Amino acid sequence: MHLTKEEERIYDGEYGWACQISMKILVKLGDLYGAKHLIPIESAHISGISYKTVGESPIEFLKALVDSGGKVAVKATTNPSSIDSNNMIFNLLPKELVERQREIIILYSCMGLETTLTCTPYYLERPKSGSHLSWAESSAVIYANSILNSWTNREGGPSALASALIGKTPNYGMHQPENRRASILVKVDASLDGDVDYGVLGIYLGKIIGDKIPLIRGLPSDEERLLKQLGAAMATSGITPMFHVGRSGEEASNIEEKISVDEECLKSAYEILSSPLEEPDLIFIGCPHCSLDEIKKIATFLEGKRVKPNLKLWVCTSRYIRDRAKRYVGIIEAAGGQVICDTCAVVTWLRELGIESVMTNSAKTAYYVPLMSNVGAMLSPLEKCIKTACST
Amino acid sequence: MSETTLLGRPIVPGKAVGPALVAEKPLGFLGGVDAKTGIIIERDHDLRGRIIKDTVLCFPHGHGSTVGSFVLYALAKNGLAPKAIVNSAADPVVVVGAIIANIPMVDGIDLTKIKTGDIVEVDGGKGLVKVFRR
Repeated sequence: MHLTKEEERIYDGEYGWACQISMKILVKLGDLYGAKHLIPIESAHISGISYKTVGESPIEFLKALVDSGGKVAVKATTNPSSIDSNNMIFNLLPKELVERQREIIILYSCMGLETTLTCTPYYLERPKSGSHLSWAESSAVIYANSILNSWTNREGGPSALASALIGKTPNYGMHQPENRRASILVKVDASLDGDVDYGVLGIYLGKIIGDKIPLIRGLPSDEERLLKQLGAAMATSGITPMFHVGRSGEEASNIEEKISVDEECLKSAYEILSSPLEEPDLIFIGCPHCSLDEIKKIATFLEGKRVKPNLKLWVCTSRYIRDRAKRYVGIIEAAGGQVICDTCAVVTWLRELGIESVMTNSAKTAYYVPLMSNVGAMLSPLEKCIKTACST
Repeated sequence: MSETTLLGRPIVPGKAVGPALVAEKPLGFLGGVDAKTGIIIERDHDLRGRIIKDTVLCFPHGHGSTVGSFVLYALAKNGLAPKAIVNSAADPVVVVGAIIANIPMVDGIDLTKIKTGDIVEVDGGKGLVKVFRR
């Protein structure tokens, strides 16, 4: 890989260990994947924040970076943590867990990362179309590439952090136009009805397409909240960083590999994902974190209703969006729901919070919570989730 | 004593010698190796229960969470890291982990040529793996 004089000085350690080790990571990844040089990025988004998910493992390394003066060179945002420190319900958790989570967040902020604690950084500031990013969090990566036309590889927490400290990323993979074309055509021969169907399609496709980029034909709507569910699910069961739905005029004629998806495929995928529950302990909306529009929609459904006393309703979003949705938050909380920030049902301690079963509209959540928290999950459309939550 | 030299791809420079610990299955470090003891704890793994400290750890490649890189760093900090890593096809999680933990690493090696207990010498800068067998 070709480095500029300045980059070589960083590599040789003239700017301290934090920058040196970050540069070594980027150069080695670039070498492995055939990048010729580094390119500047508009922003980085870092995963691996939740103490529930990552445990002690990052603390030593983050401390070493902070001690050697590591500071971000570009805008850098952070994924959800495992608690909402402004919400009383998390007081149920052992103090020690809360303290360790706080320590991780502080280490990241010492390096100048914005503690946005959300998986939807694009709702806070939409990256420019055509910009290069270094984002971790697979659902944000696939959203950026497919919906925002911002270019990012599917980074991990460590490589995105290295990019944040250097302000650059190696130029390979999704940063090159020839790698962003669709390589498999997916014909949807099933009627999709809303968020859950889009999510189930995503889980099904993720499992079978590998790292190929699909062009998906036959979707009834390209509403962003539905594509968010589709992408998050596809990136959960698979590794693809991007999909096309024909918005950018992508042509199907050059694609050799073709598959079709019928009702049966979706039905069997749904049955694997969703276990029937008599009555869940928690109704969870907000994976990925809710947009302002989604919160408004939930508030509209809930107006004048009351959440059953034996049920919890969580609506998870970023603090940024919560602050801009005060009126709707008021309606949701007056009905007995909770608008929770900085975390979600996937990355917090559900059982310790008294939750053994979850109903959600998110296929990603239904895929993960049985594995990560050993709780049951049932997948239902948003409208049905809210109906189940309410007594009237 | 037999001696075999295998040539792979240099990943992280540095020289080390140690007894090989060879896995058939890929290894995920987050949730797969305990950073406080250096014991492999991954469910259904063929090396479950083995200690990786001071071994030349040979496995096909990593898998699972990218935060696994940080586990390698924590292992090194705790004095429990392997002396070197040999993979058949390196993935970014293990590569980044080996870089930040400064563990010599080579990939592109046919792991069927190495058996647990062989003494292995790794030159991460040249991509060389020498296997000594009694």
